[in-house]
Amino acid sequence: MDIDDILRDVDPTFHAIPQEKRDLQALTRAWIAERSAPELLPWPSNGLFERINGNIKQQIEKVEEMTGDMDPKTNFALIVIQTELERYRYLVRSYLRARLAKLDRHALHYLSTDALRARLSEMELAYATRHQALLHNHYLSSFLSSFPAGLQNLNDAAGGISMIETPDLESAVFIRALKDTPVEGRGVDTDEAAEMQEGDIVILRWADAKSLVEAGSAELV
Amino acid sequence: MALPLPSGLTHAEVAFVAEMELVTVVPRQRLESIDLLGGKTPSLRPPHRTDLPLWLALLLKKQRRANILPPAWLHPSSLAEIIRRETRDDPDAFSPPPPIPSRADPSRPGFAARQQGLDSTQDGEDGIRISAPFRGSACTADAPAGYLPYHWLEVAEALLTHAGDDIAGATAGGTTTGGGGTGSSAGEVRGLLRDLVEVRAAKMRSSTARLEGFGGGLMSLRGVGAIELAESRGFVLGVVDGVRKVGASAEAARREDEEEEGGGVGGGRGDGFGEEESDEDMGI
Repeated sequence: MDIDDILRDVDPTFHAIPQEKRDLQALTRAWIAERSAPELLPWPSNGLFERINGNIKQQIEKVEEMTGDMDPKTNFALIVIQTELERYRYLVRSYLRARLAKLDRHALHYLSTDALRARLSEMELAYATRHQALLHNHYLSSFLSSFPAGLQNLNDAAGGISMIETPDLESAVFIRALKDTPVEGRGVDTDEAAEMQEGDIVILRWADAKSLVEAGSAELV
Repeated sequence: MALPLPSGLTHAEVAFVAEMELVTVVPRQRLESIDLLGGKTPSLRPPHRTDLPLWLALLLKKQRRANILPPAWLHPSSLAEIIRRETRDDPDAFSPPPPIPSRADPSRPGFAARQQGLDSTQDGEDGIRISAPFRGSACTADAPAGYLPYHWLEVAEALLTHAGDDIAGATAGGTTTGGGGTGSSAGEVRGLLRDLVEVRAAKMRSSTARLEGFGGGLMSLRGVGAIELAESRGFVLGVVDGVRKVGASAEAARREDEEEEGGGVGGGRGDGFGEEESDEDMGI
């Protein structure tokens, strides 16, 4: 710690939160949101995952270098670094797996429009497209081919009912307000509106909560 | 590869998140700053207090490299005060969450500003609001007494399990009710926590009575904790979704009515439909 650090500690104008902490907050929030929301959320477009994956790679390289050093002092630091590394990797892995689970369940839905496709990362899009093609080819070769040609599609919307299953956007979720914000919820008997204070936790339908979450005024918990 | 878990965080995941809360440690050994993914750790020099994430504090504690200073709200007198508030003052609601700390506002000397989690240098597109577990003031030694933070039960549990002696040490000096020896103090905290868990679990259960008539679109659970949410998430959300599905046709009819009549006279008819729906409920 040098004099700059000490000055920064007592300087009230220095509110800046370091990039690493902001990334960890963003990653944790994205993970919790993805674990709680009924539908697939947009892939973060600000390069969050590229940055975190890059950092994880660097940290792994550092661990590899440090392992040769058998000094007991660095040894403990190594344990701390590896523990933290595992925590990050768990977060990233669980986030990606939660997305995959949703993608598997409603693959055709997320591939159906450009707006929905834009939510997927490049890798997820490639995975979903190929997986869906394989699946459809398998169905075709095992039983669909004996159907009339008009009945071989998996995405018919004949008779006003689409074959594609969609996630239930009206399911209830818990959200926490990140700032004081008005909130509206639709209910069976009445619709309600209320003022949420920062930190309040409310149950409402995802369709009503979505705009708040996307605007950053609330987060899923 | 896809995650087989149901949606919503499980207990283990909540505990994982709670380990990111900052706690205050008193190091017993020097430790140089370590360059971690989440930023550099402060260098530890005994006996200067430092705030570290819980997972790191527990690691240091297990290796006897540091002692953990329990947060003020974990003190028996604070817990007793919270229990009194939860049972007598306001038997229906959860006790309020900790107030948002204020700081001097540098742009207006003499005024205090509520400390927003917003990163002020990056206002706009990249600005991110900080919330639990990263707020940093919820579980440190400076945390206000008498308020339960979002991750209260998980942090308290972790501290009692792995740093029971530190809790006993910190509370033994302060207890006036006479906990006796240091050994009983951790036991006292544990007993109070158990009471608190039961009081609040009863509230969570009775809040489901409000759910039964979840006719409105919102239900506030101000002050609820993370683990309590995880505990009853499946049930509460299941009830809300069930009520919605049962009442879907009534709701659609109400919306049609409101659209036709411009919302003015629609109230009366809406109520009628509500009754019909609850009759159906009982039939099922």
